[in-house]
Amino acid sequence: MIVHVPILECASPMPLLSPSAMRAATRCRFGPYHPKTPLFSKSTCQLGNTQLQKNRATSKNMLPLLQRYQALAGLLILLVVAFIVTDRGSTPDAFFGSVFFSKGNLENVLNQLAVPGILALGATFVIISGGIDLSAGSALGLLNCITAMWFLRGAPTWATILYVLTIGTLIGATQGYIIGLTKLQPFIVTLAGMVSLRGIAYVYTDNANVSGLKGQLDFFRQTYLGIPTAGWLLIAITLVGAIILRKTVFGRRVYAIGGNALASLYAGVPVDRVRVGAFAFNGFCVGLAALLFTARTNNGQPSAGVGYELDAITAAVVGGTALIGGYGSALGTFVGALFIVSLNVLLILEGVNYYVGQGWKGVIILLAVYLQNIGRKTQ
Amino acid sequence: MKINYALALVALALVGCGSGQKPESSPGVANNRPLPLVAFSQANSADPWRQVFDADTKTAAEKHADAMSYEMQAAEDDPNKQINVIETFMLKNPKVLLVSPATEAVQSATDKAFDKGIPVILLDREVQGDKWTAYIGGDNREIGRQAGQFIVEKLGGTGTVLMVQGISDIKPTIDRREGAMESFQNAPGIKVIFGDDCKYQRQAAQSYMESFLQSRKAFDAVYAHNDEMAIGALMAYQASANKPAKRPLFVGVDGCQQEVIQMIKDGLLDATFKYPGPGPKAIELAAEILKGKQPTEKRIILPTIKVTKDNADQYMIDNPNLAN
Repeated sequence: MIVHVPILECASPMPLLSPSAMRAATRCRFGPYHPKTPLFSKSTCQLGNTQLQKNRATSKNMLPLLQRYQALAGLLILLVVAFIVTDRGSTPDAFFGSVFFSKGNLENVLNQLAVPGILALGATFVIISGGIDLSAGSALGLLNCITAMWFLRGAPTWATILYVLTIGTLIGATQGYIIGLTKLQPFIVTLAGMVSLRGIAYVYTDNANVSGLKGQLDFFRQTYLGIPTAGWLLIAITLVGAIILRKTVFGRRVYAIGGNALASLYAGVPVDRVRVGAFAFNGFCVGLAALLFTARTNNGQPSAGVGYELDAITAAVVGGTALIGGYGSALGTFVGALFIVSLNVLLILEGVNYYVGQGWKGVIILLAVYLQNIGRKTQ
Repeated sequence: MKINYALALVALALVGCGSGQKPESSPGVANNRPLPLVAFSQANSADPWRQVFDADTKTAAEKHADAMSYEMQAAEDDPNKQINVIETFMLKNPKVLLVSPATEAVQSATDKAFDKGIPVILLDREVQGDKWTAYIGGDNREIGRQAGQFIVEKLGGTGTVLMVQGISDIKPTIDRREGAMESFQNAPGIKVIFGDDCKYQRQAAQSYMESFLQSRKAFDAVYAHNDEMAIGALMAYQASANKPAKRPLFVGVDGCQQEVIQMIKDGLLDATFKYPGPGPKAIELAAEILKGKQPTEKRIILPTIKVTKDNADQYMIDNPNLAN
């Protein structure tokens, strides 16, 4: 919202400021989104912040609130539309008599949401830290093949899960490390990752699909309290992600380096290590998503997950994460992913042509980002 | 700014409403009772053959509009997305499920549907296991055999055939190659040059053919594993300065584009062999199942049609949904 005011004021005299002022400056960058963040009282920031509060008081519109909860607002609109347009009375266990609000569809949506939702959570960490991950889809393909191959060779389920999560985390951490080491842009490094991980997946499987699994991961598809295990996992990791981002030093530093890497560095934040951490968390998410993907398809396919990195970024952006870094939240991304999956399901239920649906999705992404921008430019 | 934001919100609401439009098909209703749903999950709708397949299926379903409502969704050849589609379809209680699998990985969804008592008809590609009601597809080996036989007859039993190949390690390509080889091996005078993997793409076949013509090797016929590559090879041949003395034969497979049939009429291509779309047969079968008749055959193999100058006009009339 009013973020640009303090950062502009802080930015010009930056090298002259004391470390504590610096720290405060970096916090200001994302301050308005996290009102509970303590602000240092004797800093240049205070000026910005007083102004901020004045602005907030004078502008009586609901803009900041709506902008902050835009994904939620979109989801609500979608639910209302779904209620209006879907058939009634054909399903017995449906709320309001609508197929869309049936118990079966809750299970269906959560099953579909698990993979893109977890990928989007990982992408959120990376994007908040000021990076981007284009390799997630390829990494998912490779890890999907590794999972299938290990099962085919008779490895125990727990060992496979552990191995895949470890490899996923390592893939992420390595890319984060390379970015710090070479000072190349995350776009380039993960683009390279996207190309070579896909290649490795094909070499690893010898250009063939890995099939013949005995359903070792079927427990991910069982439901507890009406929600599939995959859905519970998504909810759990989203909460963990939210706590890390909001409550831990590491989480605050992820925002800081995404907001202003240089200022963070001067303020004593180990920028490179924090970035490696964010990418490692993303890699862990990709590993988990690959396991859920394998549970769903019950085979390994080197072409799996093509384009999923863009779906993940889309969910994060719709959920309020800004590609410039420094803004975003785990819960926002969850809502963004839920919005997109619900939209997909609604389009299928209503028999809308797949490509027509894609056209609408593009419009929605544009709108979401446009709303964020006018929100930030207002002040 | 406020106005801007209000406008944006209105637009967002409109987008939401727009998603409720039903350009594809709406569930039909007869005598106030909803018609039984026949749901079709297509692997993708991107290539010309699948576009004709979709159009044919829809036309066939419209003929049965008083007995069924029909819905189709494509899935970008991604098994995960296709599972999403099938599981969402299941919420609408379809009476028959048609699936053209992206890969065998959609088995988890088709198995689940079959276990719920829904007849599953597989089209063109198969899944493992036996939890399906019927399979309908073409026979690529037979197509290869007939294409090979056509070339042998046209060349009078002697000559060199250049085979422009599709994606080398997938089953349709292997069958189209092996089938043709069966015919060629019965004619001792035929020599075969195995061309590169041109990925079923016109551009790739064109550049391959350009390099091949540079080598000035003699050849009397081109057998391409699909029409697109046959056209690519033909275009390179027409533009080349190193043409063989006698015009070679150009033979393709698929017969799903108007362009190809026109080129056959114009004498540019010599023949194509139809790779039949399983859609109309599938709708016929679904209509039977809705009447309570179970299919007698589990595997239904559709015959190919040879298209040459002689029957090109008739073929156009018989297949009104050909791609442009």
